Amino acid sequence: MEELVSAFDAQVDNALFWLADHASFVFDFCRLVLEGLYAGVLGLLMLPPFYVIAALAGLLAWRVLGLVPGVVTAAALALCAAMMLWPETMSTLALVIAATVIALATGLPLGVLAGLLPRLEKLLTPALDLVQTLPPYIYLLPSIALLGYGPATALIATVIVAMPPAIRLTALGIRQTPREFIELGHATGVTPLQMFLKIRLPFAVPSIMAGVNQSLMMAFGMVVIAGIVGSGGLGETIYGAIRTLDIATSINASIAIVVLTMVLDRVTQAAARTK
Amino acid sequence: MESTEALIDCQSVWKVFGDRSDEAIRAIAERDLTKQDILRQYNCVVGVSNASLQVRRGEIFCIMGLSGSGKSTLIRLLNRLIEPSLGRIMVKGRDIAALDAAELRQMRARHIGMVFQSVALLPQRTVLENAAFGLEVQGVPRDQRNRAAEAALAKVGLSDWKARFPAELSGGMQQRVGLARALTSDPEIILMDEPFSALDPLIRRQLQDEFRQLTKDLGKSAVFITHDLDEAIRIGDRIAIMKDGIIIQTGTAEEIVVNPADQYVADFVAGISRLHLIRAHSVMQPLVRWQGVTDGLPRCSPDADIDALIGLITSSGSDAVAVEEGGRLLGIVTIRDLLLGVRGETEARAA
Ligand SMILES: Nc1ncnc2c1ncn2[C@@H]1O[C@H](COP(=O)(O)OP(=O)(O)OP(=O)(O)O)[C@@H](O)[C@H]1O
Ligand SMILES: [Mg+2]
Repeated sequence: MEELVSAFDAQVDNALFWLADHASFVFDFCRLVLEGLYAGVLGLLMLPPFYVIAALAGLLAWRVLGLVPGVVTAAALALCAAMMLWPETMSTLALVIAATVIALATGLPLGVLAGLLPRLEKLLTPALDLVQTLPPYIYLLPSIALLGYGPATALIATVIVAMPPAIRLTALGIRQTPREFIELGHATGVTPLQMFLKIRLPFAVPSIMAGVNQSLMMAFGMVVIAGIVGSGGLGETIYGAIRTLDIATSINASIAIVVLTMVLDRVTQAAARTK
Repeated sequence: MESTEALIDCQSVWKVFGDRSDEAIRAIAERDLTKQDILRQYNCVVGVSNASLQVRRGEIFCIMGLSGSGKSTLIRLLNRLIEPSLGRIMVKGRDIAALDAAELRQMRARHIGMVFQSVALLPQRTVLENAAFGLEVQGVPRDQRNRAAEAALAKVGLSDWKARFPAELSGGMQQRVGLARALTSDPEIILMDEPFSALDPLIRRQLQDEFRQLTKDLGKSAVFITHDLDEAIRIGDRIAIMKDGIIIQTGTAEEIVVNPADQYVADFVAGISRLHLIRAHSVMQPLVRWQGVTDGLPRCSPDADIDALIGLITSSGSDAVAVEEGGRLLGIVTIRDLLLGVRGETEARAA
């Protein structure tokens, strides 16, 4: 039995090394794309001084949540800058945005297909269950073997963790169109495309938005964990602070994480409710 | 085109639900089986059993039956929301089972409107956008479809509500929007599945009258499902009575009340007021049986209802009314005939 297990482990190791050796150009390319995306987002976020970003975020929160949350948002982001953690906060935000964009760009279409094709959903469900049961930092291991230390690995692992809720909730929303509206569509003479765009999709929007919000939150949690593989940002700050027992810095970074999480969560939830 | 032309012609249609419906249908074709037999032997539910009906141009055809009698199944067969297990359905002279997907969409979009009991207004859209939905689906430009939708909303008296959302409207108003949505595409046939069942009696009566008036004014044909005989009588030109998937009788309200096909129908119509249903021609007796003189009697047409006859007799003090048409005497209605008529009986049956 033990031999069997060690033989299996050896195979997996071999396979990973083989991939790293023989398909390295593929992974190099992936890394370039991922790091490019991350650098692009980060560059944009770091372009204006911190108070412009804080003011914009405050404005957005004011629009969707109200005046008080708007002011609190702007003040909380300013606090991140005051703690000298602005670059880290922005690089965490950039990672979250990049990972969520990739997760949604693949997860939403997949969710729509799964909602329309029960067979595909049957196939996907166990895979998603597996992804969601394993501890999320597991995904750092194969990525670090193939993509190396750095933000690309953090992004891939984050995408894997962030995608399932988007797929699941999109599929759910598309599938659960009330029967009478499907019947209305048929009786009105809609084409299959119209049935999707004019009837199924509008009913699915709240569920899809809930999926987007959950993906974002999952991405957040993972990006912080990914500090361990040199993602940059607040996660790495905390990881470093823990190793040097720098409690003050780790608390500051935690506060910055809480601020960012709350702002993103509330704003996306409220945006989902309004439309 | 003459008015007797059948817009919808439903010929010996069956619908059997269940995994073994193929077997059940084969068995039905070979021997006589009841709904219970099929349920017991094949574990299949018979929704509609050997139904034949014709809906004529300009007619409001009511299908009346209790819950589970197969009304919804039957009406959904008419626009092929459900495929029949057996039988043929012709709409405007075309066998709808033979239509391909695009032709079927065309048929539904242009010729057959439908109104649902659940109304099914899209909650994300305004009243106007809901009313315009059919034309939107057909690709009609926004201006044009909104104009048509506004006209339809005006017909149902909801012009002031077009910018609202369905949730802001009462049940009766929502049902009016449902009707307007069906009218906007200007179909020749409107299918209505218990549209008024969820409404309170007062609103319901009002909508019944409005619906009948509107349908007649616009020259539409309609199939109207209801589980309420009063409603069927108020609205329908002809009524089909369904039980256990079978149409047991088709006819005008008067024909059904005067001549119920079986005890089930008789029990059903027992409580219905005959005053406005039964007309002189069904209760009159032949002239030869009248021994008295006819000269002094008040006159009425064969279509005068019992209520009018009672009015004539009580105001004239005479004890009979002469029925005449075009100056020719057709028969006599005595007080006895009237009383029998009120009970839904005729001289022939009472004797
Ligand atoms: N999709 C289906 N699968 C199986 N059985 C069905 C299905 N649809 C209807 N039936 C059965 O067919 C019969 C007729 O149902 P239907 O809905 O047509 O009745 P109904 O007259 O419209 O009743 P109600 O007044 O309650 O709406 C019922 O016994 C029902 O259980
Ligand atoms: Mg029904």
